[in-house]
Amino acid sequence: MRAGSDMRHVTVTMMREDLPRASLVLAELETFAPDDRPLLESELPEIPGSTFRDRIRRAWGHLDRLVALLGDPPHADTEPLLVLRREQLVEIDQWLADAWKQCTPCEEDLHQIEDDYQELHHLEQSLHDFAGLDIDLSRLQGGHAHLDMRIGSVPSDNLARLRDVLELSNHLILNVAGEGETLRILVAGRREDAAVLDSVLHAAAFQPLIIPESFHDNPEALREELGNRRAELDRKCEQLRGQLANWLDTNHRQFLRARQLLVAAEPYVSLHGAARSRGTLAALQGWIRAAHLPDVEARLSESLSLPFVLESREPRADERHLVPVPVQNHGLLSPFAVLVQQYGVPRFGEFDPTILFAVTFAGMFGMMFGDIGHGAIILLTGIALHRKIGTFTYLFVLAGASAMLFGWLYGSIFGVEHWLHPLWIAPMSDPIYMLTVALAWGVAFLTLGSVIAIANRLLSGDQAGALFGPGGLFSLILYLSLLGGLINLAQGDGFPPAATLVIVATLILLTGYQWQSSDTPYGERIFTTLIETFEIVNGYIASSLSFLRVAAFSLNHVALSLAVFTLADSMGTIGHWVTLVLGNLFIIVLEGVIVAIQTLRLEYYEGFSRYFYGDGTPFRPLRVGRSINR
Amino acid sequence: MSRLTDQAYLRTRLAIMSANLMGKDRLDALAELPLDELETASGLDAISGSNQAARLAAFERALTQTWLDELSALLRPLGGPARRLLMQWASRYELLNIKALVRGKIGQLPNEEIERSLFRLPGFLSLNHDDLLNTDSVPELLRHLQKTRYQRIATQALRRYEERPDPFLLDATLDQQFYGELIDRAQQLASTDREEILNLIGRIVDRHNLVWSLRYRFNYGLQPSEVLYLAIDGGRVLNRAVLQQILNADTLAEALKRLPDSMTGKRQMPEQITLIEATLRSDLLLYARRAMRASPSVLTSVLAYLVIRHSEITALYAIAHARIHGLDGQLLKEALDPLHEAAA
Repeated sequence: MRAGSDMRHVTVTMMREDLPRASLVLAELETFAPDDRPLLESELPEIPGSTFRDRIRRAWGHLDRLVALLGDPPHADTEPLLVLRREQLVEIDQWLADAWKQCTPCEEDLHQIEDDYQELHHLEQSLHDFAGLDIDLSRLQGGHAHLDMRIGSVPSDNLARLRDVLELSNHLILNVAGEGETLRILVAGRREDAAVLDSVLHAAAFQPLIIPESFHDNPEALREELGNRRAELDRKCEQLRGQLANWLDTNHRQFLRARQLLVAAEPYVSLHGAARSRGTLAALQGWIRAAHLPDVEARLSESLSLPFVLESREPRADERHLVPVPVQNHGLLSPFAVLVQQYGVPRFGEFDPTILFAVTFAGMFGMMFGDIGHGAIILLTGIALHRKIGTFTYLFVLAGASAMLFGWLYGSIFGVEHWLHPLWIAPMSDPIYMLTVALAWGVAFLTLGSVIAIANRLLSGDQAGALFGPGGLFSLILYLSLLGGLINLAQGDGFPPAATLVIVATLILLTGYQWQSSDTPYGERIFTTLIETFEIVNGYIASSLSFLRVAAFSLNHVALSLAVFTLADSMGTIGHWVTLVLGNLFIIVLEGVIVAIQTLRLEYYEGFSRYFYGDGTPFRPLRVGRSINR
Repeated sequence: MSRLTDQAYLRTRLAIMSANLMGKDRLDALAELPLDELETASGLDAISGSNQAARLAAFERALTQTWLDELSALLRPLGGPARRLLMQWASRYELLNIKALVRGKIGQLPNEEIERSLFRLPGFLSLNHDDLLNTDSVPELLRHLQKTRYQRIATQALRRYEERPDPFLLDATLDQQFYGELIDRAQQLASTDREEILNLIGRIVDRHNLVWSLRYRFNYGLQPSEVLYLAIDGGRVLNRAVLQQILNADTLAEALKRLPDSMTGKRQMPEQITLIEATLRSDLLLYARRAMRASPSVLTSVLAYLVIRHSEITALYAIAHARIHGLDGQLLKEALDPLHEAAA
């Protein structure tokens, strides 16, 4: 029940050359979370592997680019992992750099072909644009005594700016065609301003379309020529792809080996400050569960060629907040564990609220939504959708089953209350009793929450918080005394003097503590002490009343069903059944969602905020494979 | 910005944050300090370890983190166009990173050296530097950029680079896109903020346009029309026609004579572009300080604060770099305050 209570801090001291192998072994086990605090800095000042890390990064860079160019060659994930030695890294880094150098010309050529395709496309489009004009294409570019004309394409974003600037330098854009990111334009100006035009067009990323002179007056021949050019580009492209495929066939084994070694080196690279060294000595530090220690030690003994020492200790009080907490496998309750994690990760040694959360969630949901028919539909929906919602099926099943159980207690099937005799009570028959039960449940829930909060604070060494804090021992005593007194008063027996005495005593203790822990000026201190104490008392009362919603929603559920029946009864036969079906659907979907949200609200705000810190560090073990933070 | 509560929140935040601004005197004092004292005064001593480069990187990270925390606090009550405007301003650090990457690749610097010059930003403001660093050439870098939100710019830059590899063309295009986007977002603001904020952005754009246009025209020898094309739209005083008049001058001195009075304040402008830049920066910071304190638009005050803060962070980086790399004190002073040094 206590999160991560068996975590141990371990230090593995070894010879430096065994460090990569040790990190790989630990990564394969997936039970070791690195701790990169500089605890050993004075004895072991160096962080090994920084040059190694740079090389790995560079090698990955080349490998990624090769994969992008050549595609990912098939490889088996089950290949045994190799330990990457420094000399091997130098070798594969060099091999990958050479491989990239060999492939770069093909890559450049492919980019060039891509650009040529683009240009060809624009040329074909331009030809199409001017086809209807029946003019000599030679007149559209260069070739005049005084007039300078250019035909080409520009990014559409640049057109407005280009037009403005060209106007200021006495040039004109005569024709614009095309759409999307690139536009085809025809620019005209004076021949003596050619240099000006050149510079502006360059800045605007203008790409001229070159029409061969021999085709100026023969668009048909030009069209044929463009077709030939396209075929030639297709042939070149295919040839380059073939060359690359051949290269990969020849170097397939070496390529896969390089990747395998880089993958195997990742755990070592991602250790950062968790590994430290001085000369030939090195140490690794991190967190492991006590249950895994023998296995880790055995695997290290098998794998490391040189001696090592594994030391473990329990977390110190000052590092409790840093201890990573592994996510427990909660089996059927795993969707509830997800909802707990939405709020936070339990702190080391803290009470793990998942089981309590699951039980109380199901209980409150069932009480608010008690109906055999509606519960059965929620349960069956969960089962029907199990492929899509995965483990959340269990949440639907548990919530549905609880609704069915309470439906049986309330004697309600699809809102009909006369088919089945209630095992306990029909909510509408005694609303005050239902509200009393809800209030009693709230008191029990808050008391249990406070007890857990006190235990959590004591376990984390916060004795003052456990005694005097909100939800602490004295606030709980104050709350229960006040409650007992009020119950007595309501029963006509007056407010008991013993309760008054306890209330006054606890109030004095709580205000005294608030006073002592504040270091503000007197005026502000009086004010904050009173407000903080009032807040403790008021918080309990408000939270207790908050649980009245449990009864309110059970009544609401019956009332909604009655409304549906009343509506259905006012219609004809078909309308009656349509209203019944739609009304029940409405209740299941809308009220179901609202009740689920209200239950979560009670759990999070009245429960978790009282006893659950939720600020723990999740356990992220060293794993084989590429790290995200390269 | 309409809700009074949000305005009150931002004004209060700004009052607290602006009290923490260092100001010129404090920065000058920091620049005078020896390394040990500078470390204590600027928080460097809190960063442990013996590796100077790692400490500097940690210091930069801490500064950037402070700036991001401040930005987050200022963004909290904002939504819609106002939020988008400030987010766009925040992306200028990413812009500086892209420029540094391109310059580094053109200069064929080692990846480690390029990486050292990059701002370390959180994911939502930053591209994947590893992918960009692991490229062998500028065209390859630009092809990687084509897969990001800078696709359009990268495509254009690639075309131009293949034709004529001028790094400043990419710089200019990036700036055009950045300020263009900023002005677009400012235009979408409610009228209460729009005019004030466009006024501030217009001054920033004017300063940028004048300095870079003079550089392109008189240092790089570009044609006036080309320089005009590279200028950013949205200036307050320097529209395209005014800029064309300035750029048609044959010499820098003549160009300076053609500057409008509203820009020079009827002062004699220095005849070195670095000094002109320093003069305009000083004017801009003065205006930003006034806007931060007295602008009726709280959003303008926030942007003005971020402008001043950016300038101070840049100066702090420079001081820390200079001290750790053992740069001469005089050189550092000249870099931080060229106007004062020129006058002396």
